[in-house]
Amino acid sequence: MRPDVHSLVGAYVLDAVDDLERVAFERHLRECEDCRAEVGELRETAARLADAAWSVPPPSMRANVLREIGTTRQEPAAAVRPVRPQRRLHLVAAAAVVVAAVGAGAAVYVLQDQRVRDERAVAEAARASEARVRAILAAPDLQVREQPLTSGGRVTVASSKLTGAGVIMLAASSPPGDGRVYQLWTIRDDDPTSAGALGEDQAATVRIVEGLPASNAVGVTIETAPGATSPTMPLDALVPL
Amino acid sequence: MATPVLDIEALLVRVARGDEQAFARLYDLVAPRVYGLVRRVLRDPSHAEEVAQEVLVEVWRRAPQYDPERGTPTAWIFTIAHRRAVDRARSEQAAADRTLRIGIQAIDTPYDTVADEVATRLERRQVRSCLDGLTELQRQAVTLAYFQGNTYPQVAEMLGAPLPTIKSRMRDGLARLRDCLTTGAAA
Repeated sequence: MRPDVHSLVGAYVLDAVDDLERVAFERHLRECEDCRAEVGELRETAARLADAAWSVPPPSMRANVLREIGTTRQEPAAAVRPVRPQRRLHLVAAAAVVVAAVGAGAAVYVLQDQRVRDERAVAEAARASEARVRAILAAPDLQVREQPLTSGGRVTVASSKLTGAGVIMLAASSPPGDGRVYQLWTIRDDDPTSAGALGEDQAATVRIVEGLPASNAVGVTIETAPGATSPTMPLDALVPL
Repeated sequence: MATPVLDIEALLVRVARGDEQAFARLYDLVAPRVYGLVRRVLRDPSHAEEVAQEVLVEVWRRAPQYDPERGTPTAWIFTIAHRRAVDRARSEQAAADRTLRIGIQAIDTPYDTVADEVATRLERRQVRSCLDGLTELQRQAVTLAYFQGNTYPQVAEMLGAPLPTIKSRMRDGLARLRDCLTTGAAA
């Protein structure tokens, strides 16, 4: 039970969460029956709001839709329990949104979370491999972990053994300043390896890290630009995997 | 009057068996609300038509997966519709574009105007009066997210309120709305 995740229930029902939060929340839902009940009830309520948003559709729409369903195959009902396929759809949909938005700047949500709009992080995300992100976030064994940064903000780590990789999303409240930078580390058996440093004016990033599941933890430090070869203590955040 | 839920459920059961005629009737019952919701979130009528069309085809495609034990057919349909509308709104725009638009929106459109516009255009008296029964912050948090597709951090920024507060107002706002709608207290 993670109360911090559960506090998102209203935002989740209103589709007001970003993709990683959505994934994390849906994982939380799986383990929490009360939460599923609450989501169910609040969804009924939200649907009543939709009820009120009545507007006459263009007349051509009806013919178009009816024509299209004539050639659209229906998906079979799930054999065992409908929960799983639907969840998979959601996960894939969530990943697809990330992927769709990577081109258009998915990192924006994380950034907006911290009220930071860092163009460089967006550009960086755009360079990230779309297929890779899709594969990682859609993995059935995805584990999402999050820690606050001592300096303000947070770091989110999504890791999947099946894909042998993970995604680190850093969203600090502001760049460290004074010629310093944020730097990411993967830690394996107490042995830290740099996963890259950010720029001096950069407060957010999205990084794909191959082999991340083999690590025990992800660390964040503040270093003198352009970054260090070994982490300076204390860590700004430590995310155990 | 609200559309009888049982009608929609019965139709959906037939649709799940591939009954195209039942789907045409279901279309007539829900299309105006699906289109209205999508249009309100997306603003652009041509995008709204395209997305509403996708939503309705998805309802056809996934009808066999609808499980009455997990909620009413309308909740199922509008969850699909809202998610699609929001996904489209977010994936469509380039980051800079979007940031700019949000910035402009926050400046040019005071939230109370938006909330008022939403409220005055509400068709259903009960929903409207239940919305009126919320606190100002609850009502704004819920409507800015639901009808405009904003994330909760965006809503927090628009309202100048801390993130945990907005998360809480979304949750307790919806809960209060639920209580009001189910008891019909404000009807």
